[in-house]
Amino acid sequence: MVTHEEILNIANLAKLSVSPEELDELTKDMNEIIGFADTINAACPQASDFDNINGLSNAFREDIVVPSYDREEILKNAESRDDGYFLVKKRM
Amino acid sequence: MESRIKKLREQMASGQISCLELTKTYLEAMDKENQKINAYVRSTPEVAIETAKRVDQKIASGEPLLPLEGIPMTLKDNISTKGIETTCCSKILKGYTPIYNATVWDLLQKQNAVLLGKTNMDEFAMGSSCETSCFGGALNPHDTSRVAGGSSGGVASAVGGNLAVYGLGSDTGGSIRQPASFCGLTGLKPTYGAVSRYGLIAYASSFDQIGPITQSVEDAAIVYDAISVYDEKDSTSRGKVGAPVCETLKNSIKGRKIGIAKEYFDGIRDDVNKAIQNAIQVYESLGAQIVYFDMPSLKYSLPVYYILACAEASSNLGRYDGIRYGYKTGHYADRNEMVCKTRSEGFGKEVKRRILLGTYVLSAGYYDAYYKKAQNLRGELVKAFEDAFQKCDVMLAPTVPMTAFPLNFTAKDAVETYLTDICTVPVNIAGLPAVSLPCGFDAAGLPIGMQLIGNRFCEATILNAAHQYETAVGDHVFRSAEMGVRL
Repeated sequence: MVTHEEILNIANLAKLSVSPEELDELTKDMNEIIGFADTINAACPQASDFDNINGLSNAFREDIVVPSYDREEILKNAESRDDGYFLVKKRM
Repeated sequence: MESRIKKLREQMASGQISCLELTKTYLEAMDKENQKINAYVRSTPEVAIETAKRVDQKIASGEPLLPLEGIPMTLKDNISTKGIETTCCSKILKGYTPIYNATVWDLLQKQNAVLLGKTNMDEFAMGSSCETSCFGGALNPHDTSRVAGGSSGGVASAVGGNLAVYGLGSDTGGSIRQPASFCGLTGLKPTYGAVSRYGLIAYASSFDQIGPITQSVEDAAIVYDAISVYDEKDSTSRGKVGAPVCETLKNSIKGRKIGIAKEYFDGIRDDVNKAIQNAIQVYESLGAQIVYFDMPSLKYSLPVYYILACAEASSNLGRYDGIRYGYKTGHYADRNEMVCKTRSEGFGKEVKRRILLGTYVLSAGYYDAYYKKAQNLRGELVKAFEDAFQKCDVMLAPTVPMTAFPLNFTAKDAVETYLTDICTVPVNIAGLPAVSLPCGFDAAGLPIGMQLIGNRFCEATILNAAHQYETAVGDHVFRSAEMGVRL
């Protein structure tokens, strides 16, 4: 059973806030979903660690400087920006 | 079912219709009829008309047309389009305008594909009914009291409703094949790595793959040939292996071994089973040999998929913090509260559930029991398919255990909804190609779909088998919806 406290802890790790009204329903949903995930407990996999599907290895390239996206273009999607930077609220 | 792409291209090339006339016909039909099915969340008439004019100039100058040139089409709203808002149908990305194109859109633009608009989807592709979209779900053009399916419900609704000739969707656990099945269309999920995912907004990176939804197998083959190109911007890219798939569609399938794994038929509805059995008979009449076997590891597919996909989603969706793009909460005391409130207000219920499940299975104390074990089972399933393809060339299975759900069916119980993905998730786990195509109707007249599954990079084999079935049965399994553009 997943408790309210565990849900709040996971939500905190995932940077989600859960209101007291949402907590009961979410805990119930998560218990059902985790109960469903628990069905893999019956399996005894023989295979060793799965690596990847197509036998891919890292695709390396030379580290060459090439023109990238325009800074102003990138900043256009940010709600707060100043002098070429993303703006966030002061932390200290 | 004839190729609509080829037919329209011939009509344009011979001067029967100009690309601008064709494009305007589609745009007008969208204006009039999209409200019935909510397929499009954004139309792009300026882009479409500008492209159409370019195509007409090319025709006037006597240049031959490329395979997809001038054909009106659509893209799912998780495929990045430079200068055109791309939201994944999530509040958290409202207003986000990409500054670069997805590679697939770059490839299609080079062919002067006419983009009519962006289509509806489950939020971040998480859902099986399109109903988790922040714009409300897309409806089934065959019966608007039913869902179009998901997550690429908008593409299927638009193509099935004759409001686009074809569209590109994405398939993480069945999101191309299931809506194609519900709307009576062909949907191809290519091999992992065959089509570049660059610019596809990520849900679960080791599963996601882009592919076409079309009205015929030949159309799916034409689109697949155009988009299966190696891309250095996607580190998992391989591109197409072998010759263009269009070249082998007409090959005989005499002597081909078609495999049936019994587990795919557990719990499927009787009418769906009957339609598949009829298809098996068609294949026998075409000279194919049917091979039956067991694949016991299939029974763990669903929990393995949900554990791994949600784990990847919890990591991929960590980037949405309200700072660089998208929605940002209005009131907050500090940065932590800003991020938490932005995410909680910006994501819908299903997305939050999946992020929480993913975070849970990756957290200390649970990682070995869930994530690691699911990865091991993934390895077993990959091996089970490798063994299966020692016994057969193609596998045949239902696409979905039922036909299109009524509206709000999926809202009742998360787990019950997840169970409907039982037939589609195994190929995503193993990274294999599969095509869904229509194979009949239920008593209410709703389309039934079947899928052909192939070995890695064997798109040509499954599309050949699909095309041969389609040719053998004629138009009996296909019924165009009574709406949209029917030229």
